Formats: sequence, C-alpha cells, structure tokens
Amino acid sequence: MAETKSRSKRLMTTGGLIFLALGVILYFAKEPMGLNRKIYDLPVFLIIIGICFAVKGFMAKDKTEEEAALAGKTFTEFLTNNAILIAMLVLVVVICILQPRFMQIRVALDILTQSSTKLIMALGICFALLIAGTDLSAGRLVGLAAVISASMMQTATYANRFFPDLPQVAVWIPIVAAVVACMVCGALNGFLVAKYEMHPFIATLATQVMIYGACSLYFDMPPNNSQPIGGIRPDFAQIGQLRLFSGLWKGFPGISILIPISIVICIIIWFILNKTVFGKNVYAIGGNREAAVVAGINVFRNIMFIFILASFLYGIAGVLEAARTAGATNNYGNGYETDAIAACVVGGVSMSGGIGKVGGIVMGVLIFTVIQYGLQFINVSPMWQQVIKGVIIAVAVAIDLTKYRRK
Amino acid sequence: MRKIFVMTLALVLALASCSFADVKIGAGIYRFNDAFMLRFRNAMTAESGKLGATIEIADGRDDQPTQDAQIDGFLSGDVNVLIVNLVDRMAAQSVVDKAKSANIPVVFINREPSLEVLNTYSKAYYVGAKAEESGVFSGQLIADYFKSHPEADKNHDGKLQFVLLRGQNGHQDMILRSKYSVETIRDAGIEPVELAGAIANWDKLEAMKIMNAFIMSIGPENIEAVIANNDEMALGAVEALKAQDYNAGNPEMYIPVVGVDGNASALEAMDKGEMLGTVLQDAENQGAAAVRLALALAEGRDVNTIGYPITDGKYIWIPYQKITRGEKQ
Repeated sequence: MAETKSRSKRLMTTGGLIFLALGVILYFAKEPMGLNRKIYDLPVFLIIIGICFAVKGFMAKDKTEEEAALAGKTFTEFLTNNAILIAMLVLVVVICILQPRFMQIRVALDILTQSSTKLIMALGICFALLIAGTDLSAGRLVGLAAVISASMMQTATYANRFFPDLPQVAVWIPIVAAVVACMVCGALNGFLVAKYEMHPFIATLATQVMIYGACSLYFDMPPNNSQPIGGIRPDFAQIGQLRLFSGLWKGFPGISILIPISIVICIIIWFILNKTVFGKNVYAIGGNREAAVVAGINVFRNIMFIFILASFLYGIAGVLEAARTAGATNNYGNGYETDAIAACVVGGVSMSGGIGKVGGIVMGVLIFTVIQYGLQFINVSPMWQQVIKGVIIAVAVAIDLTKYRRK
Repeated sequence: MRKIFVMTLALVLALASCSFADVKIGAGIYRFNDAFMLRFRNAMTAESGKLGATIEIADGRDDQPTQDAQIDGFLSGDVNVLIVNLVDRMAAQSVVDKAKSANIPVVFINREPSLEVLNTYSKAYYVGAKAEESGVFSGQLIADYFKSHPEADKNHDGKLQFVLLRGQNGHQDMILRSKYSVETIRDAGIEPVELAGAIANWDKLEAMKIMNAFIMSIGPENIEAVIANNDEMALGAVEALKAQDYNAGNPEMYIPVVGVDGNASALEAMDKGEMLGTVLQDAENQGAAAVRLALALAEGRDVNTIGYPITDGKYIWIPYQKITRGEKQ
C-alpha cells in the first residue's frame, strides 16, 4: 500500500536526480568532448531542472489512494489541461535542435527580461478579468506613460528636445507625472464602470480612444510635432537597462533590473489578492456581484480601486518600456492589452471572472514569451508568428471553457 | 533696357511673393510620428509660409482608408492642389483618378507610384529621392569601413557577414535600398553574406526585438555589419547591441551599423560612436520642391521655372548625402 502511495513522489525524485546526474556529467564532459559549441549551457539547465524536480518530489505530500486513482484516470485530462505548456516544451526542444544557441543562460535571462514588462501588464489586467471585465485601455496607457516620461528626460544637448527650455529635472518627477496621469485615466475607467455599471469592455474602449487621442495631441505639440522622442538621458535609461552582477563570472551577461522589479511587483500583487480584504472583495465581486452587494461590499469603491491600481501598473510598465528602449512614440504599447489578456487566459484566469491565481499568470506570461521568443529565434516569419499566436489564444480559451463547464 | 529688366524682375518678385495668398494645399502624410516625415512636414510648412500659401496637413495614421477619406475631404473642400504621401503606394491609381475627375493637380512625395499610374494624369508628379542612391551610399559606408578596418572581418574569411533590417514590405525604398546596398558591397570587391534579414517596418521597437533575437541566435561575434533601411531601425539595433555591451565604447566589441535618413537621434548616436553612419535624405529640399511644384501646378504656371529640374516630365529627384561620424552638419 505504501508503495502506491509514494509512487509519483518517488518517480519525481528519481527523475530529478537522473536529470541532475546527467547535467553534472555533461558539465564536466562538454569541454574534453568538444561539445561546447553544440550544447552550450544545457548541463546547467539540466542541473537546475533536476534540482527543482528532486526537491519538489521530496517535498510533495503523499497522495491518498483515492487521489492517486483519480490522477491516473484523469491523465488525458491532464494532457488537455496543459496542452499549451506541453506545446511550449515541444517547441523548446525543436528550437534547441534547430538552433543549439537557444541553450544559453543569456537566452534564458533574456526571456525573463522580456517577460518582465509583460508580467506587470498581465498583473494589472488580471484585476479587470477577475471581475469578469476587461481593460482595453491598458496598451494605450503604456504609450501615454512612455511618452510623458520620455518627453521630460532628454539630454540637454539633444537637437530636437520636447521641452527645449526644461532643466535637467530629477528622474522621479517624470515617473510620478506619467504614473499619476495613468491613474487619472484609470479612475475614469473605474468611474464609468462603477457609477454607470457600464460593461468594462465599452468603458475602456471609450477611454482607450480618448487616451490615444490625448497622447497623440501631447506628442504632436510643437516643437516635437510627432517625431519619435530620442536623446534619452542615460540615468533614466538605466531604470530599464541596468544589469546587476554582470561580469560575475566570465561571459555572464548580468540580470536585468527589470527582473527584480517585476518580481517585487508580483509579490505585492500576490499579497494584495490573497491577504487583504480588498483582494477577497475582488474575487467576491467577480464570483457573484449581487451576492457581494448583499454581503455589504462597497462595489463602487472596490471597482474604482481595481482600475486605479491596474493603471498604476500600466504606468510603471510604460515608464520601464521607455527607459529600456531609450525612446518613445505614441504608438508604444499598441496591442499590449491583448497580449496581456492572452497571457492571463493561458495562465488559467477565467474570462467569466472570479478565478485566477498570480502563479498561473506568471506561467502564462512565461509560456507566451517563450513561444514568441522561440519563434523569433529561429526566424519564423512574423505572419506565421501571428497565426500561431492566434491559435494559442483560441486553444487556451477553449480549454478554459471546457474546464469550467465540466465542473 | 536695364530699367525694363529691373522693373520686370520687381514685378516677378512681387508676383512670386504675394500671388499664392489664395492657394490652398491639402497634404496627406502617411503617419505623423515618423521622424523623417516630420522634417518633411516642417519643410513644407516653412516653404508655404515663405510663399504666402496656406497648407493643411492630415495624418493618415498608417491606414490607407483613413487617408482616402482625408483626400476626399480635401477634394470636396476648397483645396487647389494635393500633396500625397501614400500609406500604400498601390493606392496611387485611385488617388490619381479622384484628383483627375476633380481636375486638381496631385504631387506624390516619398512613396513613389509607378510610372504607368503617373502617366494616366497630366497633372500628376512625384518628388522624392532615388532610393537606389541611398542603397548605394549605405553600401559604400560599410564597404569603406570594411576596407579601412581589417579587424572588421572578424572571421578573416574575406567576406562580409551582415544582418539586414528591412522596412515595410513592398515599399520601394525598402526594396531598392536593400538591393543596392548589398550590390554596392559586392561591386567594391567584398562578398556579402546575409546571415539574417527581417522586416521591422521602419520601427525602432520592432527592430530592437528582432536584432536581439539575431544577436542571441547568431552570436554577436559572428555579425560583421548591420544594414538598416532607415535610422529608426538602425537605432533599435544599436539599443539591442548596447544591451550586450556592444557598441558601448569597447573597440573589441563593435559592430558597424548604418541607417538612412539623417535624423537627430541618429546623428547623436553617431557622435557617441554607437552608429557608423547614415545617408541623409534631404527633407528640406524635398519639402520645398514639393510645395513649389504644387503651387506652380495650382497656378497653371510652367513647372520648369520653380528652381528644381523636372526629369522625364514627371519627377523631381533630390540627391542624398552620405555622412559618417564627425561629419555632423
């Protein structure tokens, strides 16, 4: 009896140890065997994966017989539920075979860097999704924040300055200005949704158009006249470009500052959603709005707060985007909301509200970024990338819907 | 005799300076937030102001139906002549047909319609630069660098392994710049090898993403040059390279990047040594030529008197200039 109980646990631990051993062997063998340019950092990845599995297997709780039987029965279910994840793993293997350079630590770090702003976006938009809404204004708010912050952060000698007479202000001023501007727009979103019970789709569609228009007007002000903002001050660009621990050992590219920033934000959002009254209220409103009202939750205040908090995150994402690329145009952030929604959905956030976890969103963002990055890596045509992206979203939503219908 | 000459001159000048007061130009630009088109717009506004004509400029927002609606608006309004920077150059025929039926002259700028289209209307012209020339110049920038810096041939195979960042698919500048830059390198006696190429739609952000993928998949140590169809894409490539400590001051880690347009941000990047060079597209003269041609057409005057030579009865060609680091104007 005890044997069946811990079979899955032992399988995981053994598998992990095998990966670990393989990794260690390859690590020492790749130099003498001349595999350096064939497998790159694969051994390190194997070691990391191995340790993760081994620890997870070791720590996992023993499953009861019933649960074990259930797990066996639902193996096909497991496959369908994780179809996107499995597709990603297959894709990663294929890419590694086609282009072994994919197996580099710098590539993994790069994927994490690119995931960072997307994660911040997704964490913002998940609040709107949790109350069975959506936020179409997210992408344009990124553009607004990028343009506002970049416009005040140009070097004194740059030929086409946005504000020719602006002194070299402290870095935090434009950041606060950009984020506050976004929060005002977020408040408008919240007001329309909460006060008039407008569907968030319509409310945020309206604000999206307004924001883009307003941003374009700002961007078109003379003497800038809609030209891409350049000549960004290095101290501002550092916010998005700084790399920590670079050169720690030879060839280590360093960890982009964006990664710790997004991790901190992720932890804060996890705390808000799981440990605060506001977080519980979000789930309650999303699960059943009428019940929430009856239970005495102040829906108006909570919805206002949801949209303001979300737009705060979009503002941060916009500032980081401007800093990372050392520039901005009013077109920044275009379509980011769809990517963020797609990542949330792939990560298990239900479009019908009330269901979704921060961990799932992180997974969704990572899966999406890995797939996009991987396709770009093997130089798949952007048209095919679009097709594949669409298929992923459709499949993810289909799985999401069948999952909840079953319940 | 001299008196008459002076009087005539004065009369001509007087005419030239005040006669356009009632002429209104309607200009459609493919997209306002394009650095080169901004310089073009400023040049057109300045020239119209100088000649006393009014100009109304519309933002096509990179969408041909939007621009079509704007042109319809111009034609049904009180505009005497059109200046059109097409979003999609395949839409040229419908614009020409509309202008023809309204008997309003049309001057195309920056995006060149085919000669067959221009030939369907006697008052249709094109002002621009010969894209092949910019391709030749950017090829020369790279070839010259390669010859004067033997270390640029990183793998010492005598060939040039490069990455090509292309503009919008189907744009004549993208096609010709790509073609002629590569051919010029070959003509200079260096064999060009295209490691990778992708369409980045003239866009900095897109170019940065694509270049980053190339750096990761090809390895920066294997790339010997980056050729971009415009400056914004070149700057995107520079940002991606800088993120890997390339082009940031260390001569061991440098990849020459060239663009086209000569925008302020590119000139700054060249000053900092992040970019090798660019090919300046003369927006000021293009804009002035377009306005002068438009006014001459609207007034029904001889188009050969505007100060820019007309080629083949349909074109005004404004030459490009090649600039590298330290040659900032």
